Amino acid sequence: LINPAVIEQLQPYIVTAWYGHRNDRDIPKQVRDVWYWKFMPQRGTAQSNVDLAIINPEGEVVYCFDAFHRPFTRPPLSLAQYTTREVQRAEQLLQLDRLPPRTNPISLPGLDGQRGVRVFVTLKDDRMIAYQAPIVEVVPLSESDWHVLNYPEQPRQVNAMALHKWLSQVYPPGIMERTNQLTKKVYRIASTEGSLSLSPAQSEGPTRRAILSGTVVLTDEGKDHFSYQGRIRVVLTYSLDQPEPSSLKGVFEGIYPRRDRIRNRTRQLPLVAAFESLPDK
Amino acid sequence: LLTLNTMANRLLSIFLLLAASSCLSAQQPTVEEILARYATARPSAQQLGMYRLDWADSLKTALDRSRAEKRPVMLIIIHAQYGDITAGHC
Repeated sequence: LINPAVIEQLQPYIVTAWYGHRNDRDIPKQVRDVWYWKFMPQRGTAQSNVDLAIINPEGEVVYCFDAFHRPFTRPPLSLAQYTTREVQRAEQLLQLDRLPPRTNPISLPGLDGQRGVRVFVTLKDDRMIAYQAPIVEVVPLSESDWHVLNYPEQPRQVNAMALHKWLSQVYPPGIMERTNQLTKKVYRIASTEGSLSLSPAQSEGPTRRAILSGTVVLTDEGKDHFSYQGRIRVVLTYSLDQPEPSSLKGVFEGIYPRRDRIRNRTRQLPLVAAFESLPDK
Repeated sequence: LLTLNTMANRLLSIFLLLAASSCLSAQQPTVEEILARYATARPSAQQLGMYRLDWADSLKTALDRSRAEKRPVMLIIIHAQYGDITAGHC
């Protein structure tokens, strides 16, 4: 879902995701239909764990395909080309040409007017392009969360753990190697360490500004205390008469040591995050 | 004497390196530098193309809307115990 051609092709669709296991209760009929086909013995085990299904307005699955496993073709198809071809096959069954063309605007996750921080995370993984897809998380913040960032009349230190709610979102997608083997859930970031400096910066018109900067170390909840670190730099703005920040924009730039279980080595991959306060200003 | 000189040079190099790095770390980034870096780090409209899709927050909602709007559904089925594909942390 990062290829422009695929995004263009999916504009007419209502898109949704479902996850679960075969032994779950209440599996929707459409999922059961897809899995009936997926788990036929003759299909073998060379499949991914993600399938795409196209459903007509009557609720019937008209076409489905494995999202990653591409049958052998010559010339070989890229993942985007394969997805486009499969969706085209479905469109022949759906008679989509009857639908008016659509161009949807970008609609990012938000907090419905509540104050918080939006976090964009990108792992610069040159091998797995799918992992370069940006993550977008939104984190609601309370008044006390903002309070720690009140305007600094003098430079002062801020404990990074006070910003844990949003800094703990800075981890890559698809990190199977950092997964609890019992729950199959990714280890959460358990601690955010570092002493950050918060200093007044040059003002601009009716706005005061401050800079938050320093190094943070993020450690997940795995028993091996896996951690990585990066530099954080944030600009905060304040009105002249209020100590609480009115907006926040900044970045995290670090290195994520990703364990390659197949090649039994660790790759040092750049991990970048951008932060912006909500509501948008 | 040569060995002492070499050692002194090495110590001086280390001292200069440490002094330089401490100066660098003490250097405060400017507001403009940070905002420029933020603008680069924030994904572009093209990279955020996934958010141009018309997402429904559940299969039930998607099917209800599909029936009402006479539009097809693209369902992404993930055979896993957890996942949040709309945020990307999956």
